[in-house]
Amino acid sequence: MTNSMVSKLLEVMDRTLIGPPISRKEWDYKLVPRTTMRVLKDHGLERTFDPNNPINTDLSLADEFWEAGFSLAVELGMFCPETERIVKFTEEEIEEALKNAVSEVSLGKGKDRITIKVRVPEDPSPPIAAMSALGLSVSEELYVPICQSIAQYRIVDMLLGACLDRLHGREVRSRTPYETLAGFYEAKLVKEALHRAGRPGMPVFGVEGAPTEYGFFGGFLPGGFEPECTLAICLIPEPFTLPHRILHRVAVALITGTSIEAGHMTTIGGYFGPPEGAALGAIAAHILQAASMQPTVIESTILDGRYFGNCGREALWATSVANQAKSRNSRSMVLGITSQVAGPGTDMILYETACISLAEAVSGAAIVIGTRPTACKYPNYCSGLENKFCAEILKASAGMKLSDANYVVKELLPKYERRLRDPPKGRSFKELTNLVTLKPVPDWLAIYEKVWKELEELGISKP
Amino acid sequence: MGKEELLNRLKDLVVNGDEEGIREATKEALEAGIDPLEIINEGLKKGLDIVGEKYEKLELFLPDLVLAADTAYAALNIIIPRLSERAQEFRKGKVVIGTIYGDIHDIGKNIVASLLRANGYEVFDLGSDVEPRKFVEEAERVEADFIAISCLLSPSMFYMRDIIQRLVDMGIRDKYYVIVGGAAVYPEWAKEIGADGWAKDAEGAVKLCNLLKERGKEVEKPVLVGKWR
Repeated sequence: MTNSMVSKLLEVMDRTLIGPPISRKEWDYKLVPRTTMRVLKDHGLERTFDPNNPINTDLSLADEFWEAGFSLAVELGMFCPETERIVKFTEEEIEEALKNAVSEVSLGKGKDRITIKVRVPEDPSPPIAAMSALGLSVSEELYVPICQSIAQYRIVDMLLGACLDRLHGREVRSRTPYETLAGFYEAKLVKEALHRAGRPGMPVFGVEGAPTEYGFFGGFLPGGFEPECTLAICLIPEPFTLPHRILHRVAVALITGTSIEAGHMTTIGGYFGPPEGAALGAIAAHILQAASMQPTVIESTILDGRYFGNCGREALWATSVANQAKSRNSRSMVLGITSQVAGPGTDMILYETACISLAEAVSGAAIVIGTRPTACKYPNYCSGLENKFCAEILKASAGMKLSDANYVVKELLPKYERRLRDPPKGRSFKELTNLVTLKPVPDWLAIYEKVWKELEELGISKP
Repeated sequence: MGKEELLNRLKDLVVNGDEEGIREATKEALEAGIDPLEIINEGLKKGLDIVGEKYEKLELFLPDLVLAADTAYAALNIIIPRLSERAQEFRKGKVVIGTIYGDIHDIGKNIVASLLRANGYEVFDLGSDVEPRKFVEEAERVEADFIAISCLLSPSMFYMRDIIQRLVDMGIRDKYYVIVGGAAVYPEWAKEIGADGWAKDAEGAVKLCNLLKERGKEVEKPVLVGKWR
């Protein structure tokens, strides 16, 4: 950790203690939504969501969103919930942070080492495919097989472990030594899965199953996640907040020399309102996290609050315009998330995956994480195959035009969008996987092949 | 201003989330002799219904929903003391609410708290990341009817069970209806830990409390409101 890194973190911490005071209610329900709506109006961005074009193809619109997001970031700043104070950044500080943003990083070891690079819309090189059973609760006995089933596919570049539900049979209770031990245990299990998949040097994320800083600290102790192979997850559950409990993670990541994945989530229908507001919020949050958290990559997830996924028309559009804005106007690396509501073993999860993966990738995401079946509702409802599919779509998107991706998405959306609020549950890992070979069962493979055939007919080449 | 106009104004003030304005308008409506029940049903409730419909259609958003509910609550605070013997009907009960230990998500919990308030419940909000013992201590202190627990993270769900176990250990389990909800919480979990009810969303939480309040002794537990996919 350099002196400059320490100084930056100390400066941010100091501001959380001395910034202008504001109550949580005033911030959440008045200042943030009202300022967002005003900035949207000032920049003429209200009602720009186009349901007939779920992937934005107007890059000048994306640039206007960037300008508006920058204004919003400067005007609002971030809220520290522990001290109920606003942490402000000047225009110059933000510009400096964006200018110095990391635009390339290499992670992993040996033949599994990869390089994440900043991308732009329609970039000829594909994004990094980071696959997972994202956020899903997974049984202890299935943890390694599930991770292995994902990592076994060579097209997958990075692995994000799932959330462990037990630790040697015990409940993993947050903020207890169980959680601290589970953070470390997750690292062990992920490494074991990579070893079994024959990909020991594959880069990973840590710690996925860390609801509090205890699990995070446990994961980064010696013998746990290795700095040269890991992106340290420092996600902020609420937009525009800068909690001390997340800055703990930033401190540990800096001390251990681990690259930081900052992140935030904005919800359509939530604090930022309509799809345009959610896109604007995501851009401003990206800018503010670049200024406050010393990130290597910045995750941005725009969910639709009506079904808590990001594969509907509104979320796809907001994701595309926000990613285009960020990737065209800064050199910071954008990390996208795919969040499906259908379960594995269904065609719907593959249609959802295709749409959101295309939206993320053609709009300039440097790295994309998939998949998140059933929006994490059902433990063990995941498999390797939807992850392989997601990675294939990401790789197939290299060089694709926004208009072509928009065409494909428009063809696929009618196949599932009416089911977003009542999606099929699908089947569990055990039902979808041969537990000896870790290959998909034949009927799941047949669904995958059927959907790929449809995509090929729409002009996408399977890599 | 005529009766119809006053009721419409109340409705609009709820939709606009204008807490200041509604205090004045509520007093004016009461002084004009409008039946408090009519103020609630034809003014406040209609406003809340409009907000609910618009929220569903993405015409209004989370902050609008919370501010509208808080506005209706501000009006209820003025109306309820005027209801005299009928007041009991609107003082539906006391709810101690919070997000469980280890979990800092509180958006959903805040919506539930606001809608409960707007529907006549007295709500004691403990915030997020709340230790199990605090739920019980607060429920005892305020003589609550309900303990409402929210959770979005699986590793924090176990603490919900601790609250119920604490109530059992103290011999006061039957004093409270314990209801649970939040993205991580599924109906089977409510059953497993011995909760009295589970609701899918904030509107469901209001229905759940109403149902338990009215027929809690008769119905089989846990009462489940809404569909878990």
